[in-house]
Amino acid sequence: MRPPLPHRPAAGQINMTPMIDVTFLLIIFFLLSSHLAQQETQLELDLPTAASGRLSVDDERPRLSVNVRADGSVMLGSTETPPAEMARRLRIERERLGADLEVRVRADRAVPYSSVEPILLACAEAEIWNVTFAVFKRDESN
Amino acid sequence: MRVPTHHDDRRQTDIAMTPMIDVVFQLMIFFICTASFQLSEELLPTSLVVASGTSEPARIEMEPELERIVVRGTYTDATTRWIVNERPCDTLAEVRQVLRSVAEIDRGLPVILDVAGEVPLGDMIDAYDLCRLEGFEKIQFAAERD
Repeated sequence: MRPPLPHRPAAGQINMTPMIDVTFLLIIFFLLSSHLAQQETQLELDLPTAASGRLSVDDERPRLSVNVRADGSVMLGSTETPPAEMARRLRIERERLGADLEVRVRADRAVPYSSVEPILLACAEAEIWNVTFAVFKRDESN
Repeated sequence: MRVPTHHDDRRQTDIAMTPMIDVVFQLMIFFICTASFQLSEELLPTSLVVASGTSEPARIEMEPELERIVVRGTYTDATTRWIVNERPCDTLAEVRQVLRSVAEIDRGLPVILDVAGEVPLGDMIDAYDLCRLEGFEKIQFAAERD
């Protein structure tokens, strides 16, 4: 008589394969949704290019983004802010977040410098000295 | 005695492909979806003024004409033109050449970027980038209050 095969599932044994499939699917779903949520926080802009830029480090320092769109409108975070209001709001943010606050200027490469100059002045008025420009990487050979 | 069926004989040798295909598809979907099609951003740090240790903003003392480099940018006929210490440069390559020759003498000289309001930001950043590439560390932006 031929003995029964050892790997044959017994009547009460649970099939693990569908459970592993579903677990993987859930992991993928959560990873993707967090990844996309991170991308959505940044306004899409045609940034200038530079060869001497450095990679952004996700440290604990407080950071504020100032977006300048191609039409010249300025957004402090996600709120449209007139240039006259900028210094006052930056000062409030500096008092709230601390002296090492970094202001990241994300401006479209086509906007005239006159749209960005008031932001630099407002930062100086609000005593924020740590200002960075967001750029896309450019090879120096280009 | 039960006669073994033909199906039971096959189970010993066949590999179940379905779970493997499932996992392969899931991995494929994961890598395709997580591949970021956005260009990664970098940062150009600036120093608006040199911090002096007090809460008061430091005063910028103007150095004599020969001890600073002034890069002026003007915008005429939809073109940005540059003047480095009163020397006109038509292209950024010329600006770089002048900056390089100065950098060979003294990289510690402060560079002042005095850019007209009409100049596109992209051109201003190009000039700023050149200064950084040539090793200048004290780069200041000239700004006028309204």
